[in-house]
Amino acid sequence: MMCGDREVQLNEYVDGTLAADARALVETHLAQCAGCREAVAELRGLLVGARGLPRTIEPGSELWTGIAGRIGKRETRNGKRWGRGALAAAATLVIGFALYRLLPSSTVFSRPEGRGWVAVEAEYQQATGELAAAFATERGRLEPATVALLERNLGVIDAAIRESRDALARDPGNVELRGLFAAAARQKVELLRWATRAAT
Amino acid sequence: MKRCIARLGLVLALAARDARGQALAGRDRFEQRWPFAADGSVRIVNPAGRIRVIGWDTDSLAVSGRGPGSLAAAGTANVRKLIVTGRTELEVRVPRGARVWVKSASADIDVVGVDGTLDLNSVGGGIHVVGTPADVTAETMGGPVELAGGSGRARVKTVSGDILLRGASVDLGASTLSGTIVVRAAGWQRGGTGVQRGHFESVTGDVRFDGELGSGGIVEVESQSGAIALRVPAMTVADFDLLSIGGSITNRLTAGVAERGALRFSTGPGGAQVTARSFKGNISLEAK
Repeated sequence: MMCGDREVQLNEYVDGTLAADARALVETHLAQCAGCREAVAELRGLLVGARGLPRTIEPGSELWTGIAGRIGKRETRNGKRWGRGALAAAATLVIGFALYRLLPSSTVFSRPEGRGWVAVEAEYQQATGELAAAFATERGRLEPATVALLERNLGVIDAAIRESRDALARDPGNVELRGLFAAAARQKVELLRWATRAAT
Repeated sequence: MKRCIARLGLVLALAARDARGQALAGRDRFEQRWPFAADGSVRIVNPAGRIRVIGWDTDSLAVSGRGPGSLAAAGTANVRKLIVTGRTELEVRVPRGARVWVKSASADIDVVGVDGTLDLNSVGGGIHVVGTPADVTAETMGGPVELAGGSGRARVKTVSGDILLRGASVDLGASTLSGTIVVRAAGWQRGGTGVQRGHFESVTGDVRFDGELGSGGIVEVESQSGAIALRVPAMTVADFDLLSIGGSITNRLTAGVAERGALRFSTGPGGAQVTARSFKGNISLEAK
């Protein structure tokens, strides 16, 4: 019998929705707990069973076709998925650190103004570039309408970031502008992460 | 004859055993029911069609589906997973205190009368929740989200979908890029505290907060170009801090006038804190 407080976590483990560190903790626990190993086997069996169910209609959407295919390939795809998850997490850490540096603090003001801003911009560009590349690889798994929606809104957020950046160039010491730029940049990172997650 | 009956019994026994873990349905309809803990966890995957989750005062989990789809189910009385294939109208009845996790691609998700924790995810479907769940997380890219009734804590996120939060919630967070956010916060439930914490952000979408602020509550609103409208009771005690770099600020709550894109004033000590920030959206403040 599985440990009572592990049920949701084990489901997330089998679904592949746990973060890498939580996943490692679960695997450590599984190595020591036969009940939980049995529960995981049962949950995986459910996925296999779902794969074998009769499909009385062919899904009309491109997205569902992709999902149906991956239910059967979940085991072999986990490594790839977690690689992308780790990439997204790493990129988020980078952008988080960069945005933290944008906010007013003694450390920000102790750096030479121009050099600090250039460094932050470079970090932001790198992080969003990596996430955008991950999304570009996976976007084919999404419905065209969803991709169009995402592209439209990435355009919206890019325009917002551009506006904030231009305003900051004119008034680099403006703390409020930094906050608004940070918010827009964070939303772009979150959107790219979400899009990549939805596609995988 | 006896051998035939024995074989038939064996077939029926095997079929019954299979049915324990996996409910295969006919083409158009299926139904299953299991004993379920009052605070059990149910995880539902139904990519297309519709998902309706209803809380009831019974310690069991009942599933019915209609449409050309099939159901696979497994789990215990504490946690159960339901996976649906095909385009199905799915109805799931759960104990009121259940924890519910739903994932869909295009299916709309409706939840009614569940007081536990809700974690609802869709790519393009809408999400509607009616009731007083303790905790709600709702994310959909293209669909709208509506929470009605109130919750202890709610986090809602869309890309382009509109967000409507109605009722008496304590801790609210909503984020969208191009959708609108409308909050109608009442203070008559959950001890009448009003919003204790609210954070609402959009890029181009308008944000409207209309409601009561909790004493000591903190409400923050941010937009890039969307308009921000704040309507609070005339006697609200709060510190207001409004700033729009490129937009206008209109104050109809007090006589205070914005200067250089900023307006800061207090209507009394010990009240709420309201902060609004916009790059170029207009900000308005008025009495409700």
